[in-house]
Amino acid sequence: MSSDCLLTAATFSVLLCALLTAAFDLVELRTRRGGRIASQRSKPEQKADALLKEWLSPEQRAALEIYGHFEVSGSHTGKRYRIRRGRNMNIDEVSKEGDLGPVWCFGPVGHLPLGDVMLAQKLALETDEQATLAVANRSRRRY
Amino acid sequence: MAVQIVMDPTGDTRHEFTAGDATAVAKAERRFKQLTGTGFTAAVRTAEGHSKRIRDFDPAAEETIFFPRLQGG
Repeated sequence: MSSDCLLTAATFSVLLCALLTAAFDLVELRTRRGGRIASQRSKPEQKADALLKEWLSPEQRAALEIYGHFEVSGSHTGKRYRIRRGRNMNIDEVSKEGDLGPVWCFGPVGHLPLGDVMLAQKLALETDEQATLAVANRSRRRY
Repeated sequence: MAVQIVMDPTGDTRHEFTAGDATAVAKAERRFKQLTGTGFTAAVRTAEGHSKRIRDFDPAAEETIFFPRLQGG
């Protein structure tokens, strides 16, 4: 192999190493920055999630963990409502037979983390169903 | 130690007070009136997973939670 070939190969190797190092640094920087932003954003969400779990019954907590929703009983009618993870259109009326009925939509004003929204929905239905449904929007379920 | 839990964009803010401390109780009552006066609903925990709406300050309540006024989505 000529000295020219060796020189070219060596130069190529050095360039490749430099490129790979730069790429790894960039990925690490983005991951670190992304993680920092994610943890900042998620702190209120984590806090609200903990508060929600504190105020759920053991059955509701278990249902939320397993199915991603829990059920509450309306304070006036005793009707069952299923609160799914979500901010809008996330409350299903459940019939005595267990069928899903209309979808209810309401929530607290202002920008609250998801756990707070779901807890406010639970407390509202369990403590003052009539007043809550008076401000809520009701939609027919679409299959 | 009693606590008032107010939902807000940070998750919640907690205000603790001792039921035997008249000054702290008066401050908690003022906070209750101020929050409910601006549309917050107050509820106290009656048992695990169960709560009751209250319209008047209850100095004996161990935990009172406040959530903002509701609106249709």
